[in-house]
Amino acid sequence: MGPYKSGISAGSSSSSSSSCAGKQSEIDGLLSGAGYKVRSSDLRQVAHRLERLETVMVNAPAEISQLASEAVHYNPSDLASWVDSMLSELNQPVPMSSDLSDLPYIDGFVAPALHQTVLSEGWTEQNTHEQQQLTVVTAVEEDSAIRLVHLLMTCAESVQRGELGLAGSLIEEMRGLLTSVNTECGIGKVAGYFIDALSRRLFSPLAVCAGSSLESDILYHHFYEACPYLKFAHFTANQAILEAFDGHDCVHVVDFSLMHGLQWPALIQALALRPGGPPLLRLTGIGPPSPDGRDSLREIGLRLAELARSVNVRFAFRGVAASRLDDVKPWMLQVGPREAVAVNSIMQLHRLLGSDSSRVSPIDSVLGWIRSLNPKIVTVVEQEANHNQPEFLDRFTEALYYYSTMFDSLEACSLQLEKSVAEMYMQREICNVVCCEGSARVERHEPLAKWRARLNGAGFRPLHLGSNAFKQASILLTLFSAAGYCVEENEGCLTLGWHSRPLIAASAWQAVSDTSAPFGRIKDNLL
Amino acid sequence: MANEKEKKLKFCINDHRDVLVEILKRLDGRSLGVAASVCRLWCSITRQDSVWESLCFRHVSPPPSDVRPVVVALGGYRRLYMVCLRPVILSRLSRQLSLRLGNGGAGDSERIKRICTRDEVQLSLSLFSIDYYERLGGGTGRLGESSASSLMFLCKPVNV
Repeated sequence: MGPYKSGISAGSSSSSSSSCAGKQSEIDGLLSGAGYKVRSSDLRQVAHRLERLETVMVNAPAEISQLASEAVHYNPSDLASWVDSMLSELNQPVPMSSDLSDLPYIDGFVAPALHQTVLSEGWTEQNTHEQQQLTVVTAVEEDSAIRLVHLLMTCAESVQRGELGLAGSLIEEMRGLLTSVNTECGIGKVAGYFIDALSRRLFSPLAVCAGSSLESDILYHHFYEACPYLKFAHFTANQAILEAFDGHDCVHVVDFSLMHGLQWPALIQALALRPGGPPLLRLTGIGPPSPDGRDSLREIGLRLAELARSVNVRFAFRGVAASRLDDVKPWMLQVGPREAVAVNSIMQLHRLLGSDSSRVSPIDSVLGWIRSLNPKIVTVVEQEANHNQPEFLDRFTEALYYYSTMFDSLEACSLQLEKSVAEMYMQREICNVVCCEGSARVERHEPLAKWRARLNGAGFRPLHLGSNAFKQASILLTLFSAAGYCVEENEGCLTLGWHSRPLIAASAWQAVSDTSAPFGRIKDNLL
Repeated sequence: MANEKEKKLKFCINDHRDVLVEILKRLDGRSLGVAASVCRLWCSITRQDSVWESLCFRHVSPPPSDVRPVVVALGGYRRLYMVCLRPVILSRLSRQLSLRLGNGGAGDSERIKRICTRDEVQLSLSLFSIDYYERLGGGTGRLGESSASSLMFLCKPVNV
């Protein structure tokens, strides 16, 4: 694990990461990943002492070189006592109490920032003067970064309380602070987007966050190329669908968001090569209606049909244009009685979580008709984040952690154009989470645990994703130059994350068999 | 007299195309590329898909027999190797090498084999189908691009 470039990475926040239970007596997960053992409860004190150590080292150049060559440090991984020993070596009294109490949020956050500082002082015995220079620069920048985050939180809090004047002045202050931070990468870049989103929320709330569907297409495609999240989603879902279709000759896939249809060539190819020959494959693709009269769904269907023809897979495509998923009615999908049905939802279900009290909640009605189709498998891929909490400040904090990690993972992308456009894709999501409310806020991400509860309650039972999916995901990840991606298995579901923070979760479900379901389907077909 | 004897003993591989094909079938990807620049005959042989077919599935056992029509339909074994399989193998190799160097370069004597596993082949086939789909114009709607944009992430330089 390398140092975090952005100052913020979640690990000990309240997300569904299974590794963090009680924070008080536990060793901090982030630092331990880098080889340092610090108790989470001691983080503030250690942070304070490290700052003092920095100040001392900057002011006492002569003694440093001596320390570097002659000091013997025991237990280097025990960060707290190392710092104490360094401070006492340099004859500074070790403070007993921490006075960082005015920064309550810093708990889980400060660790990686200091990690970076510590690394720059490190264990090397080289040019300590150079190191001091580096330390000073890093310290100043880290200070600004910490202040930026602090200001962002304070601004979000004042927005929540309705103190718009204060929020406005904080935004001005943050913009000023941005000049002293590197905005090309890391916390500076992410903070810039969040500052923009906050100011948009305050000053132009009615400005539309989402662009045209053509823009969305382009952003999506570049996001697909720049990072593995969508590919992971597609490949994992395909593997599960392939296994569920085993032994069936007539199969029907319902795709909740066709986009460019990039998920389906691989499935068509896999079905073509399956032992026993390919089935008859029907694909129903749901997508927004095209604004300019082009039937973009049909065009994609034609290309997929051409591919299927080349590999001798009998294929039929149907497009369903709907701007909202809850506008789709099951009869539109024309599911046949003897077909094995797979429902595929890549980051679509969270859009249904906005509740409109006048009608049945959209998510329940959609889950209901999915179940009435009696699908062999329902593949669900969702962002692993908690962006649907009722309190704005909670959502804001979560989003800050989540998107910082996402941007971090994007840093290593070597394709410059794709990377920039992928960032715009994420910026749009950030905008929606921060600026929009009510029915306009569609990015209502919820963590895997909540989806599990919801799907279990709606009459689905989980299907475990097998080891083939895991292996495939692992190989896929080796293709990406950044080594920080990790695939983890979580009770039969797979998550893809960056440096042990899961960012996207894939799961598979099957409708619990119910005596009323077959009647429901026959009735639908009679209509 | 000596000349005639010389002529009888002289064996020119280029006169025995079938043998040449059998030999070239056993080369690895890089050597095939080198072989292509030897002479026109060798170049034409290295463009035969059957040579690349052996390369792709050499170490996968049992060798998948019914894959050929699909691979041919999607663009042929040479393209499969160059666009998908080779980057997959090279990424894995570079990852293994960097891990090995990180661990102190243990055991250089054990060569990291450039063979592909069955899972790597399957993933490559999936990526290959996406490549074909994009060349049809299915990805961004632009027809006939020689290097599909979705697979650009495979084209990063790998130092192995």
